[in-house]
Amino acid sequence: MARTPVGRRAGHGPAADYYQPAPYDDGPAGYEPGPYPDVAVAPRPVKEPPSEPLKADRSRLDEWMEVTFKFGGSKIKRKAVALVILGAPALIPLFLMMPAYLTVNQNTISVSVDDTLGTGAALCLFACLLVTPMVTITGQRWFVPLRRWYGIMMGCCALGDAISAGITDNFAGGVFGRLAGHVFELMGLMMAGLVVPLLLTGNPWAQRKLGKYWKRLHSLIYVIWALLGAHLILLEGFGFQQGGTDNGSGFPGDGDPVFHQRLYQYGACSLFLLTLRLPPVKRWIVARQREGRNWLVYVTVAPLFVLFVFGFTFLVNEEFFKGIDSFTENPSSE
Amino acid sequence: MSETYARGGRESTGAGGFIIVAASLLAALLVLAGVIYALGTPARHRAALAQGGCEPSLSPAGVQCTTAQMLTKQYLAVMIPARQQLAADIAAYRTNQRGDLAAAQSALMAEVTSERAFDTSLAHITLPPAIAAIARALIRANEARATLTAKQAGSTSLTQLRSFNRRVDVASAAVQKEMKLIRTALASPAQAG
Repeated sequence: MARTPVGRRAGHGPAADYYQPAPYDDGPAGYEPGPYPDVAVAPRPVKEPPSEPLKADRSRLDEWMEVTFKFGGSKIKRKAVALVILGAPALIPLFLMMPAYLTVNQNTISVSVDDTLGTGAALCLFACLLVTPMVTITGQRWFVPLRRWYGIMMGCCALGDAISAGITDNFAGGVFGRLAGHVFELMGLMMAGLVVPLLLTGNPWAQRKLGKYWKRLHSLIYVIWALLGAHLILLEGFGFQQGGTDNGSGFPGDGDPVFHQRLYQYGACSLFLLTLRLPPVKRWIVARQREGRNWLVYVTVAPLFVLFVFGFTFLVNEEFFKGIDSFTENPSSE
Repeated sequence: MSETYARGGRESTGAGGFIIVAASLLAALLVLAGVIYALGTPARHRAALAQGGCEPSLSPAGVQCTTAQMLTKQYLAVMIPARQQLAADIAAYRTNQRGDLAAAQSALMAEVTSERAFDTSLAHITLPPAIAAIARALIRANEARATLTAKQAGSTSLTQLRSFNRRVDVASAAVQKEMKLIRTALASPAQAG
């Protein structure tokens, strides 16, 4: 007799597949090689099978997103419009640096590329890492392609930052000194180095060719995430600005140095992203959803999400504060 | 049997529940701390302005924190090159005012160009209202001097040319007076002079 886990009905795949993208199902599922929740293969069932209304409710938005509408004589999916709207902001860091690159303004590039493209890379990384937790919580899949897009833009920003810093920074020791003369720079260089294979293999062709190794390779995104933490610890430290003088981390003068501490921003964003990736937590969420108590998931996750939004908002603030100065080629060194 | 499985299922998710609740409570505490911290922002902002040499009265509208030093730096960045250029033009005029009309006229036109460039650059600096008024007076005085210098450059003889010198000196004194006022207002350091 075939061992059919209790709670899994005939014709249905593993329950967790609904919440966690299969590795190669839709191409853009890249950059998230996290293991399936154990519940997907675990023989331990829960008492109740997935309730039909819950599943129908989850897929409703996905179905709505699949609907096409006519625009200028061609049919466009609602999903495509939504993805473009959500994906376009990832271009902002490069857009803000573009005037300095086009005019070869070495002063602007030297002073503010770290902040504009570096912060942009961090924002894209967090946006990329946000996709899977959102799939886990909402059960919706229509925004999964954004994961690849944000990953690619993160890579472009990180490489742009590294190349520009290697050419224009003022550190001694030539290109190598500018890129690896300090330990925090070495972390940045390692991140940029790890981004390269991810960028090169972040396409369906490479995904097919690499097969099961593709997923392992793309686990490097977690190493990059950790290296970003190390980079910020070494760059910013754990302390924050005291008083009005520039004696620590965080922009002085506006009275909110704690909120401008980039390591704290990283921590605020990472707590949500990390917690929602832990297999026991994913099992717990799936179990509550099966019980039809998704409200409990939302209530429990809400403070984590609010904290994430808090950290992310100040990263965006940093991006625009420095980025607009870069765009006007009047770079801020604060 | 199914109850046993259900109990096992609850146990298997117990750790997850504990982790997410603990993380969520931590996040809630941090958010609450952030909100409390944010309530103290205005007081800290004022303290930071004072400690950083930021004078709120010097902050132009829309500029969050412009210190006297920042304004002085912007002013000096405009003033020092203009002053150097003008000194070179005046030296050229003095060299030629008694012997070479064409060269003297050329030096005077260069002075006019330098003065007007300074006016344009100064007008682009965002200054607080009190200093902006002095800056406008400085620009007017400088424009008057430039107009007079342009008339001087139109002289047809060296004698006529030199006859403007006293009037130009008076106009220069007016410019110097306004510059002194603006430097005082900015509490600019010694290099401003």
